[in-house]
Amino acid sequence: MKNFLTILVALVFPLALVANAKDIKLLNVSYDPTRELYQDYNAAFAKYWKAKTGDDVVVAQSHGGSGKQAQSVINGLEADVVTLALAYDIDAISQQAQLLPANWQKRLPDNSTPYTSTIVFLVRKGNPKHIKDWDDVVKPGIVVVTPNPKTSGGARWNYLAAWAYALDKYGHDDAKARDFVTRLYKNVPVLDSGARGATTTFVERGIGDVLLAWENEAYLAIKQFGADKFDIVTPSLSILAEPPVAVVDKVAKKHGTTEVAQAYLQYLYSDEGQDIAGRNFYRPRDEKAAAKYASQFSPVKLVTVDEVFGGWQKAQKTHFADGGVFDQIFQP
Amino acid sequence: MKTYADWRAGGETNQKLKTNQDNMKLNQLILASLAGLQFVIPATAADDSATNSTGAVPPEIPAYTAVDGTNAGSAEAAQIEALKKAIQELDQKVQALEQQRALDQQTATNIVSDQTRDLDQKVRILERQHELDQESAATAAKAQPLVKLDSSGFTFASADTNFAVSLHGLVQLDSRTFFNDHNLVNNGFLLRRARPIITGTVYHDFDFNFTPDFGGSTVQIMDAYVNYRYRPELQLEAGKFKSPVGLEQLQSDASLFFNERSLVTDLVPNRDLGVELHGDLFGGVASYAAGIFDGVSDYNGTTVNTDSDNDKAFAGRVMLQPLKTSDVNALKGLGFGVGGSYEADRNGAAGLTPGYTTDGQQKFFTYATGVIANGRHWRVSPQGYYYYGPFGILGEYVISDQQVSRTTAPVGTADLQNTAWEVSAGWVLTGEEATYNGVTPRRPFDPRKGQWGAWQVVGRYEELNLDNNAFSASLPFAVSTASASSAHAWSVGLNWYLNKNIRLNTSFSHTVFSGYTGATPAVPAQAENVLFTRIQLAF
Repeated sequence: MKNFLTILVALVFPLALVANAKDIKLLNVSYDPTRELYQDYNAAFAKYWKAKTGDDVVVAQSHGGSGKQAQSVINGLEADVVTLALAYDIDAISQQAQLLPANWQKRLPDNSTPYTSTIVFLVRKGNPKHIKDWDDVVKPGIVVVTPNPKTSGGARWNYLAAWAYALDKYGHDDAKARDFVTRLYKNVPVLDSGARGATTTFVERGIGDVLLAWENEAYLAIKQFGADKFDIVTPSLSILAEPPVAVVDKVAKKHGTTEVAQAYLQYLYSDEGQDIAGRNFYRPRDEKAAAKYASQFSPVKLVTVDEVFGGWQKAQKTHFADGGVFDQIFQP
Repeated sequence: MKTYADWRAGGETNQKLKTNQDNMKLNQLILASLAGLQFVIPATAADDSATNSTGAVPPEIPAYTAVDGTNAGSAEAAQIEALKKAIQELDQKVQALEQQRALDQQTATNIVSDQTRDLDQKVRILERQHELDQESAATAAKAQPLVKLDSSGFTFASADTNFAVSLHGLVQLDSRTFFNDHNLVNNGFLLRRARPIITGTVYHDFDFNFTPDFGGSTVQIMDAYVNYRYRPELQLEAGKFKSPVGLEQLQSDASLFFNERSLVTDLVPNRDLGVELHGDLFGGVASYAAGIFDGVSDYNGTTVNTDSDNDKAFAGRVMLQPLKTSDVNALKGLGFGVGGSYEADRNGAAGLTPGYTTDGQQKFFTYATGVIANGRHWRVSPQGYYYYGPFGILGEYVISDQQVSRTTAPVGTADLQNTAWEVSAGWVLTGEEATYNGVTPRRPFDPRKGQWGAWQVVGRYEELNLDNNAFSASLPFAVSTASASSAHAWSVGLNWYLNKNIRLNTSFSHTVFSGYTGATPAVPAQAENVLFTRIQLAF
């Protein structure tokens, strides 16, 4: 038996050696508009990690509609970390695939949301349709571009922001809010699966009068395509979008990357991580960084999903689940 | 009163004008006004022209009255004023009309522009929708499971191919006809192999194989293993599968030259239970396998699923095809290597072979009653093959060295070393390439198209020699009245590959024995002459 064990160890040991190779690779499965943010951040983190441990780390990125990305992870895409558009999508990974614990959002500060954003309007230069607030967006004849809430986290934020505005305007009358959002989606001729696709529709394909966009995505469009082509309109009321991050425990454990995956997310809260978020038009959590970048954002009254909709679980079930309000009001 | 036309035509009237300068000014004003009017409202101007040509009175033009010398000044002035006023009115009307026309044009332009923009948006939306539909269709297509049915079997796979299940099969219906056997052996048909083969992959890197066999008279599990492919060079396999020793033994049952493997295979392990590390290096130039197994005896046609003792065997094999990736076509198919096994303390009656068999699957050697395995058992097998075009040759030598004990008088122990070798070769008459994995016809059988598949002739020579000490007079481990001490055989055959899945074989084997001293009838008492046929379905 002793010989048997010796031979067994001798057989398996080379495999273990290969599995513990020096190359550290992480896969960050994220939502659509974070490409540029994480390109910057990954380079900074690799430098930081190299200095700290001497190890090289390469972070691969995967982007798409937040809901689709979550489903991919559930279906087996081996993400070491997820940085999705909303907590519900990470909850789904936890509940359906049990890849991370249910209390994942308590493991990092600020509900595991190192930066926030909101929803604004991107309009054609000069704002020819005079779109100033949500009321203008729902007017007949206005062509609105927004992605599909079934697949896009940003689209769900758009939808809820409009609903929150209507509730505020009509004294929390749900029926009127529903009518308001129904009118909005009557103005939507095409639904992209993700926020980046919607930006492409509006910016590159020249469709529509207004794009309901992540704030960072709108500023990025201005930066990339020129301030002479678009204007940003900040509505009077919008929603505080909190895109969370989490280590996918079981995958990271399988890959032997738990430590580096945790450090990767924790570093988002560092001064450098917060600065990179601000540079990429996200609203940093850190007060100092937030103050530094405050001037690039217009003031807006922000409401949260928790206070208006009772949390993501309830919002999802009411509005975006199959047969929910969105399915009832949107007629393609 | 003269009309404007008269005034234009008559030189005498002009002479009555007070001054030529006034006349010219008036003339210019009227002409300009009329010209402008005619330009602005061509329809009206046309009517005027028509009227003039028929002698009708032009509209709204005050008549010019000739003046005499006394009151001509005031009258002319009044008329001029009247004319000026009329011209101003006309000018105002013209301006109003021009403004209206510009406004109408602008309105029309705006309408067209709006319509154009709307149409442009609709076109863009349709184009984008089409684009998104295509993306959705592509995404949906990628998510569709793959179903494949071809000569390699049925395969169902997830869209990302991370999960796949394939169904293969092997059915061999044989006949064996023995000649000059004194009716010791039954001639007849037999279902040699009937195996549904289920293979697959889970989570991309984990392969599995489950192969039961319903052929012969015993249902058994031939293969049941999981293989983890970390990379081609490094794979870990665990379960029940072929022990990595014999070249011919490791060849697929469907690809053999003959119906039955040679005498060499009597001395190598068949399927065993264990764990094996293996892989292909340098693109297949080298391959290796090394593992620990329960350990099995020589020739064990009926495989087992448990261990017969407490010891474990180590088995391994290295094969080289040094020129596989070179440009030397004639030597690409050259491969050689060595396989072997070692078990330190094999023991018990079950540790010994149940007997060595001929091509016709008749036992010509068994150990005597009371002989058991009792100690070290090792094998070594240098081996090689060469394939080039339609030609293929395969050779193998094996030594099986085993310590045995006799537990009945005379009691004793010996280290017996049995050996065997064989060379077999084939030539594909129809020119197809011969390989270790068989022959694929270029022109699958279809007589309506004049296609007849591939034909191959094969031949083999083989020997198995028992250790002389096995038949020691003082300490016999086998008795010559029941077993032969060696077997020598040659075979020839013809294989017809109708297509990749169907193959017909026929072959003849002649085996002679030595060392047998027993009385007939017994298998080794005379040469074995057997005619094989086979119909094989493999996919």
